[in-house]
Amino acid sequence: MNEAEFHESLEANWRRRLSPAEEAKVHAWLAKHPERRAEWEAESGLGHLLDQLPDAPVPSNFTARVLQAARREAARPVPRPFLAELWQRLFPRPAAGVAWAVVMLCLSGLAIQQSRQNAREQRAAGLAALGRAAGLSDPNLLADFDAIRHLPQPDDEELFVVLTHNVATQ
Amino acid sequence: MGFARLTPTMATCPDPDAALMLRVKDGDFAAFEDLVNKYKQPVMNLVYRTLPDATEAEDLAQHVFLQVFKSAGRYEVSAKFSTWLFTIARNLCLNEIRRRSRHPADSLDEPASEEDDQPRRQPPDLKTFAPPESLLQGELEEKIEEAVASLPENQRTAILLCRGEEHSYEEIAEVLGVSVSATKSLIHRGRETLKQLLKPYLRTGAWKEKQAGNFD
Repeated sequence: MNEAEFHESLEANWRRRLSPAEEAKVHAWLAKHPERRAEWEAESGLGHLLDQLPDAPVPSNFTARVLQAARREAARPVPRPFLAELWQRLFPRPAAGVAWAVVMLCLSGLAIQQSRQNAREQRAAGLAALGRAAGLSDPNLLADFDAIRHLPQPDDEELFVVLTHNVATQ
Repeated sequence: MGFARLTPTMATCPDPDAALMLRVKDGDFAAFEDLVNKYKQPVMNLVYRTLPDATEAEDLAQHVFLQVFKSAGRYEVSAKFSTWLFTIARNLCLNEIRRRSRHPADSLDEPASEEDDQPRRQPPDLKTFAPPESLLQGELEEKIEEAVASLPENQRTAILLCRGEEHSYEEIAEVLGVSVSATKSLIHRGRETLKQLLKPYLRTGAWKEKQAGNFD
């Protein structure tokens, strides 16, 4: 046994009593290192004292009472989420709730489609007005810088009104 | 990355207690009863040394198992069942300690400190530990109980869980929420305190008298 093994034996005392063979090895080492004997006796002795801690009293009906409480817990109705509870109160019959949900979905879809159509029409009107204001007749003309310089210049104020109206409707 | 976490089934679960708990998750009361019967004593041993009143300790220990039952739906085999169980037990003990420290009038016992390294009670006067020549076993046990009860909660829990080799240092560390090295440090400091408190009994070898009467 060496110093490290002695420390391992000390630490083993934290968890259990050493076997007779282990004890013999320790005592053989302590014979050569008597200055460590007090440390060993204290650690070993404390282990023995802790072994004498009695078990805590457990009443004979402990398990029965726990099971009783568990059964009460299992029988308790599980609270539903708020929205689910509200839905149940508004539509006690599932068919009515489903029908109502389908109607709302259809109406929502129609409203969204109408809104998109309106937006498209407004954008088209705005672009058309912009095109008129810019006097563009052929996009290919824009590729030629000299041609651009000879295009009729729109009125700045009129062009500004068209542009801001187009931005607002997008 | 990209690998699904394997969930142990009852058939593949290496921990038999975890397998029982999976059955509890499926509503098996017999499995729950088995777990209660197996762990009621160890849980009471831990709880009783936090709440030395037997009735209060019993109530809290029952609450531990009830909490286990209520949590069954969320149970997953990510650790040993006993580690999970004792983590619940310790947390409920800590909650009770904190509740008593906020409402000291609710308990006749001196409120416990929440700070980890502070003793739960002042160490008893060593003069009262001077053993008479003939020390009854019951008195020795009482002195040991008092000494253990005077330890800070984390040291006491570490020492109690360490004894008996049922829990590895890693499992104890998980219950305490600290590292393995911190766990060993807690055990070491707690034992040093106990050695000081019980020095008269270690000196007289009172435990040797008890050992002489045993056949182990």
